[in-house]
Amino acid sequence: MATSPPTEVTAMRNAYVDQFPDEARVIKAAFWSSFIALAIGGTLGLVQALHRTDVFRFIQSPDYYTVLTAHGVLLAITFTIFFLVGTFTWAVTTSLDRGVVDVRFTWAWYIMMVIGTVLVAIAIFSGFLESAPSVLGSELNADVLFTFYAPLEAHPIFYIGLVLFVVGSWLAGVDWFRTWLAWRSENPDERIPLPTFMVLTTTLFWYICTFGVALSILVFLLPWSLGITESVNPLLTRTLFWYFGHAVVYFWLMPAYMMWYIMLPKFSGGKLFSDPLARVVFVLFLLLSTPLGIHHQYLDPGIAEGYKFIAMTNTMFLLLPSLLTAFTVVASMEHGARQRGGEGYLGWLKALPWRNPIFTGMALAGLMFAAAGFSGMINAGMNINYLVHNTWWVVGHFHLTVGTAVALTFMAASYWFIPQLTGKELWNRSVALGQVLLWFIGMTFMSNAMHRSGLFGMPRRTAEPQYQGFDFEPAVGTVGEINMQVALGGVILTLSLALFLLNMIMTSIGDDSESIPDNTYAGTLSGAEDSPRILDNLKLWTAIAVVLVIIAYTLPLASIIDAGGLFGPGIEGVRLSTWVDPAVIESLGEVIR
Amino acid sequence: MRISKGALLVVVALLVPFVVEFRTALSWFGIKLTILESLALAGVLVIGLLLWAVWPENGNGGTGTADSS
Amino acid sequence: MNIHTYEKVWLVAAMVLIVGFIATITYGAVGPGIAMIDDEGGDINPDEINDDERFAEPGVEHVGGNEYEVAVVAQAWSYTPSQIEVPANSEVTFYVTSRDVTHSFSVVGTNVNTMVIPGQVSEMTVKFDEPGEYGILCNEYCGEYHHTMEGKLNVVPEDEFDMTELSVEADDEVESGNETTITANVENGMQEDLETTVSLEIGDETREEAVTVPGDGSEEVAFTVDSADLGEGDHDWTVTVDDYEESGTLSVVTPDGNESADGGDGDA
Ligand code: HEM
Ligand SMILES: [Cu+2]
Ligand SMILES: [Cu+2]
Repeated sequence: MATSPPTEVTAMRNAYVDQFPDEARVIKAAFWSSFIALAIGGTLGLVQALHRTDVFRFIQSPDYYTVLTAHGVLLAITFTIFFLVGTFTWAVTTSLDRGVVDVRFTWAWYIMMVIGTVLVAIAIFSGFLESAPSVLGSELNADVLFTFYAPLEAHPIFYIGLVLFVVGSWLAGVDWFRTWLAWRSENPDERIPLPTFMVLTTTLFWYICTFGVALSILVFLLPWSLGITESVNPLLTRTLFWYFGHAVVYFWLMPAYMMWYIMLPKFSGGKLFSDPLARVVFVLFLLLSTPLGIHHQYLDPGIAEGYKFIAMTNTMFLLLPSLLTAFTVVASMEHGARQRGGEGYLGWLKALPWRNPIFTGMALAGLMFAAAGFSGMINAGMNINYLVHNTWWVVGHFHLTVGTAVALTFMAASYWFIPQLTGKELWNRSVALGQVLLWFIGMTFMSNAMHRSGLFGMPRRTAEPQYQGFDFEPAVGTVGEINMQVALGGVILTLSLALFLLNMIMTSIGDDSESIPDNTYAGTLSGAEDSPRILDNLKLWTAIAVVLVIIAYTLPLASIIDAGGLFGPGIEGVRLSTWVDPAVIESLGEVIR
Repeated sequence: MRISKGALLVVVALLVPFVVEFRTALSWFGIKLTILESLALAGVLVIGLLLWAVWPENGNGGTGTADSS
Repeated sequence: MNIHTYEKVWLVAAMVLIVGFIATITYGAVGPGIAMIDDEGGDINPDEINDDERFAEPGVEHVGGNEYEVAVVAQAWSYTPSQIEVPANSEVTFYVTSRDVTHSFSVVGTNVNTMVIPGQVSEMTVKFDEPGEYGILCNEYCGEYHHTMEGKLNVVPEDEFDMTELSVEADDEVESGNETTITANVENGMQEDLETTVSLEIGDETREEAVTVPGDGSEEVAFTVDSADLGEGDHDWTVTVDDYEESGTLSVVTPDGNESADGGDGDA
């Protein structure tokens, strides 16, 4: 495929589109799918912010949950993962310096993901209809939020769409592995280039964790929604969801981390501090992303404290790669700043390219991620979690993580990617800088207020958090003031989002430019030659990761199935205890407790 | 200028979380700033910042580190 | 592997931090014994909640001393009971389960917060030292009116709390010349004996009777009323036990043709 740069028009220009025109087209499509999801989802976010706070209500409260389902799915799943597959395809081809093995395959998985998304969207948006059409024997509807906890039931095409989407992402992984294997046979003795290494480790834990939802949907939820099985075990499907649910958080975070590792140092004007450490970080994510999903279930009955404790310990250790990342990223930025003539203890900060929206967006995203780290440690604490679980504190927290660390990094990266993929210059850099700053400011208002409301018990996922029998008593400020802050933040964020989309559209319809920078990523100060070979042994790390998952999940799952039946109370025949003596599970459980 | 315009803009943006969090933090100690007072505080900080930024560096009249990007 | 000194320092600091967190939380969980939701509550078939010993009649129950148990059934979109009253200085164990989808049972502004998953029973023990009023809400989406799901928890001062229940059985009508009985049934929900007086006010007469209701039992007090004392017409009566009262009206009527002697049938 397009391994050698084309020679015609662009003799000097060496952007991604010049190197890999075919791949560029798929990636561009993936990015646009992601932007559309962002546009719709973000607008719905504003509707939520205004509705909940009673600033402006124009939908019926029952419809709020349709809006919220769409917001969650479109942003947390569609926006993030479409952007991810685009970024990863870019990273693999760029760092291996070769195209994908067969671009038709690449289109195939992309189209599969699109079909999945469309099915899911049809199911969700039918929730707005007075009387939704009946398909496959039941009314279209999916007001189940993005967590789809059974026994809330969605229409089968919601589950089918999710499956197609996830399988599409699996095939994307196959594509990256294939491309890497092809490269390896051409370059037998070379180390895996860092960006590809990041892609492969991330893909591996994606396979491990999506196994859980796939199981949950294919074996339990889909047959149940089709009327083939009668009931489900709600705690089981819920646990399988969170088996996937935490790792997906890292899945969408990994492209942002990749950007911080391989692009931020470059835009700072320097190099990545350490290649080996970056590899260690990604290996840690591969090992630890999945066996801690139970930390989302600290408040769930039916799960012994010991298992929750294991999840918490793993969670705390997963702080390590993020702390290491903070170090490496800051150190790389400092290196870049000093290359640019920065001096002094903190004075080097002044020498960073703050005028550059790509740099500034990513740097601010990183800063907000650090703030999110603090509220995250609160969430992770098994007992203090009781105070904040399912309150708006959590929503404040993840708008800093996925809503900013990830989303803002993606938007900033788009200012680099879209010119690379289209050969057109960014429409307006100043608007872009304003956009990232506005996102930062809007999120400050919204997230601060959300965190504060969580502390006095304001629930999340609630259309009208105004109750008949009691009032909330904020330790600080008034509910009204905090609500206004949320609404203000929401408006600023939506404005920022509109500016982003405007810039993307104007760039895309703009003229070709010769002055697109070359498609490169940051070099390293301490390179791959410094990192032990064993780090590249993906089989080893995968095996350990699987073992950790088995350790963390076998017993909790066994006891959940034992107590509630594999298919819930409706089908007695398939209880685990018919083939495993419950006493065995009991005594194994004792060991843990 | 002591810092580039881009950096100045970013510092101004950073003032927002600073003021918002400062207000939250103060209120834990029972000091409650009204919205107007917070805005005034922000205004003072911004003006201070601008003055600091445009003040010539140690009489050395030349423009400070230029931002090239 | 080539690791920079600063990196090593950072690495060590990070590990110390992490281990510190885990240690603090372990201490928090094991030391002061902060209650966590776990699998102690056991499981239950959501279709058989009505046959369950605990959940058939949800509500507050006194276990002994200052210990209470509260059984709550959550269903879209309400809690049964929706008003819960317990005394201050008590140790209350909540048992919550769901009849339909997943809910939560969250006492606003406290760490009394649990998921309520169909098929499971959430059990948690809470100490209430001070009186106070708390809202209860559901913070897990449970359908289109999820936002209306709420309840109330009142922790009342110890001396204002009891679990006495009064019910009265009385006829509406008595033929003049006959006798009738007004029977007060005093139920004692506490485990200790309750010594109190039952009083009946009728006409301008007040009658009192001391009664000892055994722990977790009930006692009946029957007052025989002679219509001759009252005279014809409507007579309001009130039965009082501690802070509880119940009232009604007894009509004394002239006997006419119809020979129904069903008055005074206080066989309860
Ligand atoms: C215009 C910007 C945005 C606004 C105004 C906004 C607003 C909101 C609000 C008010 C909620 C709370 C709903 C509730 O608890 O009842 C919410 C939930 C959520 N938001 Fe956003 N948001 C924005 C952007 C984003 C982005 C960029 C992401 C992720 C990439 C995101 C992901 C989520 C998720 C996952 C939820 C939780 C959904 C659920 O509870 O099921 N949001 N958003
Ligand atoms: Cu998590
Ligand atoms: Cu609810």
